[in-house]
Amino acid sequence: MPDAERVERAMKSFVKDFGRTAAIYMESCIHCGMCAEACHFYEVTQDPKYTPIWKLEPFKQAYKREYGPFAVVYRALNLKPKVTVERLQQWQQLIYDSCTVCGRCSLMCPMGIDIAALVSQARHGMYAAGLIPHELWAVTERARLEGSPLGATPKVFKDRLEWLADDHEVEIPVDKGDADVLCTMSSIEIMKYPDSVVATARIMNHLGVNWTFRLDGYEATNFGLLAGNSAAQKQLTLKLIEAAVSCRAKTVILPECGHAYTALRWMGANMYGEPLPFKVQHIAEFLAEQARAGRLKLKKLDKSVTFHDPCQVVRRGGAIEAPREVLKALGVELREMYPTRGTNWCCGGGGGVVANHRADELRYKTFKIKMEQIEDTGAEMPVTTCANCRQTFDDGQAHFKWDVKMHSLLELVADHLVEDDA
Amino acid sequence: MSSITVGDFLRSRGVTRRDFLRFCTATTVALGLPATMTPRVAAALEQARRPSVIWLPFQECTGCTESITRAHGATLESLIFEAISLDYQHTLQAAAGDAAERVREQAMKDNWGRYLLIVDGSIPTGNPGYSTIAGHDNLSMLREAADGAAAIVALGSCAAFGGIPGAQPDPTGAVSVADVIKDKPIVNVSGCPPIPVVITAVLTQYVTFGTLPELDALGRPKAFYGQTIHDRCYRRPFYERGQFADSFDDEGARLGWCLYKLGCRGPTTYNACATVKWNNGTSFPIEAGHGCIGCAEPGFWDNGGFYRPLSTGNWGSARTVGAAIGVGAALGVASAALARKRQRDAEGA
Amino acid sequence: MTLLEFARGPGLQWSITIFIVGVLWRLLGIFLLRTKKDLSEPRNPATWKGLRLIALRSWPRREFLGGTAFGEVMGYAFHIGFLLTLFFYVPHVLFFADVSRGLIGTDLQGLTGFAWPTLPNGIVTLLAAISIAALVAVLIHRIVNPVKRLISNFDDYFSWFVTVTPLVTGLAAFAHFAGWPYERLLAYHLLSVELLLVWFPFGKLMHAFTIFAARGATGLIFERRGASL
Repeated sequence: MPDAERVERAMKSFVKDFGRTAAIYMESCIHCGMCAEACHFYEVTQDPKYTPIWKLEPFKQAYKREYGPFAVVYRALNLKPKVTVERLQQWQQLIYDSCTVCGRCSLMCPMGIDIAALVSQARHGMYAAGLIPHELWAVTERARLEGSPLGATPKVFKDRLEWLADDHEVEIPVDKGDADVLCTMSSIEIMKYPDSVVATARIMNHLGVNWTFRLDGYEATNFGLLAGNSAAQKQLTLKLIEAAVSCRAKTVILPECGHAYTALRWMGANMYGEPLPFKVQHIAEFLAEQARAGRLKLKKLDKSVTFHDPCQVVRRGGAIEAPREVLKALGVELREMYPTRGTNWCCGGGGGVVANHRADELRYKTFKIKMEQIEDTGAEMPVTTCANCRQTFDDGQAHFKWDVKMHSLLELVADHLVEDDA
Repeated sequence: MSSITVGDFLRSRGVTRRDFLRFCTATTVALGLPATMTPRVAAALEQARRPSVIWLPFQECTGCTESITRAHGATLESLIFEAISLDYQHTLQAAAGDAAERVREQAMKDNWGRYLLIVDGSIPTGNPGYSTIAGHDNLSMLREAADGAAAIVALGSCAAFGGIPGAQPDPTGAVSVADVIKDKPIVNVSGCPPIPVVITAVLTQYVTFGTLPELDALGRPKAFYGQTIHDRCYRRPFYERGQFADSFDDEGARLGWCLYKLGCRGPTTYNACATVKWNNGTSFPIEAGHGCIGCAEPGFWDNGGFYRPLSTGNWGSARTVGAAIGVGAALGVASAALARKRQRDAEGA
Repeated sequence: MTLLEFARGPGLQWSITIFIVGVLWRLLGIFLLRTKKDLSEPRNPATWKGLRLIALRSWPRREFLGGTAFGEVMGYAFHIGFLLTLFFYVPHVLFFADVSRGLIGTDLQGLTGFAWPTLPNGIVTLLAAISIAALVAVLIHRIVNPVKRLISNFDDYFSWFVTVTPLVTGLAAFAHFAGWPYERLLAYHLLSVELLLVWFPFGKLMHAFTIFAARGATGLIFERRGASL
């Protein structure tokens, strides 16, 4: 793509994204630099270029020149020069390699700017200009065309479900025409952590829920969102929605995934153009609800546990206490790490970063924060409720030869179900 | 110039040596000169010839004359007027009409190049008929008199800066002496009216040393106009502590608090009122409970209402603010509309 | 026309006019932009409660305090000193009362019988000095700290300049600095305020208004999701 065209596409995409909220944010930054103090990438490198709001510099520049109240003056007097393709190229690394859209910066900003949301928006323009890490582009295309970013196509998924049902002697309904609950999975689980698929089935059956998987809508991850391809994002989201409508589901359950929650729970209705005709829950929320109602019969997990908060589920998504309620139901000794809940540190692999191998070295540096946090609690096992975090922890564990393994909340629940074999 | 000396003249009037020396000391100090200079002042004055002084009154109210010549008992200031040969002064002279004019012309001719010219009142530059003396308009009379003067004292704010006649709408086109005369030394003794001792000190210096005192940027003697009223005001501690009278005769006013809120121009007015005071050191406006109106400053009459505090300005009006709101709102709506259109175009394309 | 006459007359009128025009232009130009309705089901329906973020963000969470305490403390020292000086120093109060009388025909005392309180001049002097010290400290920090140095631009430095100058010239006028002519010092002070007013709508000083909008917007969005505030 010629450079001029790249810039034009980026600018047009930026303009499409600017709205009142983004404009308020762009106008509000006072260059205090405090957002850097919240960002794990800055924390471990002390490199000022990782300052969160700096990641938005070309976006801000474009806003002031193309869309802000004084845009006409900025253009006439060239007070903000046109964004160049070189600048956008430079910024690619900042927007994709060193941002997990974790939102810690948004929590810090004294002006209340949601910097993370702006990064997501900026990615649209970068995608339009073709300036995104190759892996992200590739997996998005795969997801769009094949139905899964990691090759878990409907055929592969169907086959897996069959042998998982067989191997683990668990019933897994597929493509029911009428179900109360539509369950979804992430490709990470389907391909790497299939025990999570089994766990989901076990729990649903234990609860006696009328549930199903649908081959026309099972992939909860949304690389369109992560890469900045809004068309793909919408396409992937609509698949899930249409599948839910097709089986008249009252609830759609999202798996242990972070951005999947953001994509459907908070962005889904806006993609759909109307309120969703069903409830959306993260699996942890669902489990907490069941535990509260006394329907989840669990054996005690007699261990000391610390919980890693997946950013999109907890800080950004609002399901802060749900995982803890489930841990309580499991009877663990919960030792919160510091900081925890909303201010917990990101695993470093979200937002597409773990798929972007150019960012590996940087990500490993940030992983040290998590290792230290967990070791400081002295807990026997860390638990989380996001497969991408889990994947990041596994990769970090291998890299540092760490002797601590991350566990899945979902799998722990399934492993501790009290089954009455009557 | 009179043939007898100032010393002789004073002695002939029964002024004792002691009184004379007291006058010299007071005047030396008032001029800001070291007290050790008193004997020099006394010696010089003693031997000085009584200089000729011509006083031209233009668009004036005679207030300056009233102030200068007001004698409450035998004041030392009035002595100097006996020491000079005041050859022309409308209020004090006995002669009138042609006789008076002839005296003036003769004095000017006899002392050409050496007489001191005192001017009070402003000079009209509009229709010359606005102010005339014996059929002569002020402007030409001033030019003619200035030609033969050794120096000019512009007495009062009118002569110094244009004063009240020059206030808006300035119907006569009133100007100061300095606006007309450019080639003679001019001392601006401003004030409405000025303080008596200031004029006598200037005259004394001239009579004694033949020089004019050091002047500030506005041509006023630094010795008397070098500090603001504010800096020498006895109510300053109240200003510092933030204790102000809110209205005339209220609690604060009766306690003698600062009059800033009532419009006092003390901070921006340079004069000696706070130290020398008026009526032989009796009092001055602030002490009497009214704020300074800044009468020694140019344009004091047009400097905002006398009762509006200095800190208020001509910030505009409800109308100008309303207009600004209208324009700002229009620009805001326009820029938002433009941005929205750009967005629609970007989405459509 | 002397410098003071200009400063108190046309200078003041034009700067106030430009201030009003600029602020409205910028605020309306932002608030009238398109916004999309959020169709997602809120976790907390009383989303208006999110406006409490406006107050909450006034101090960082404990976990963030480490690297930010300096900036926060200096920021408050400056703002509090500046605002107290601006609104409680007698000549300033008189100025605002005059504006009020010009706009609505009366002032606070006329409306309520209560006079706007004032602080003694000595206290105001101290507050102004503290403000200036805080401003100098943050400027040094901005130049020395790598993060701030990278992200700072003309706006940051110029806004600093137009903010510190009224404080400095105000103190100088009050103290009759070096015996300079008072009207000149007063004129400089008024002109520096006018420069501040003229620059205000176009730089980051607008955060005085946008802080409520930005914190409010985020508060509403986050409260809807139950996200961490």
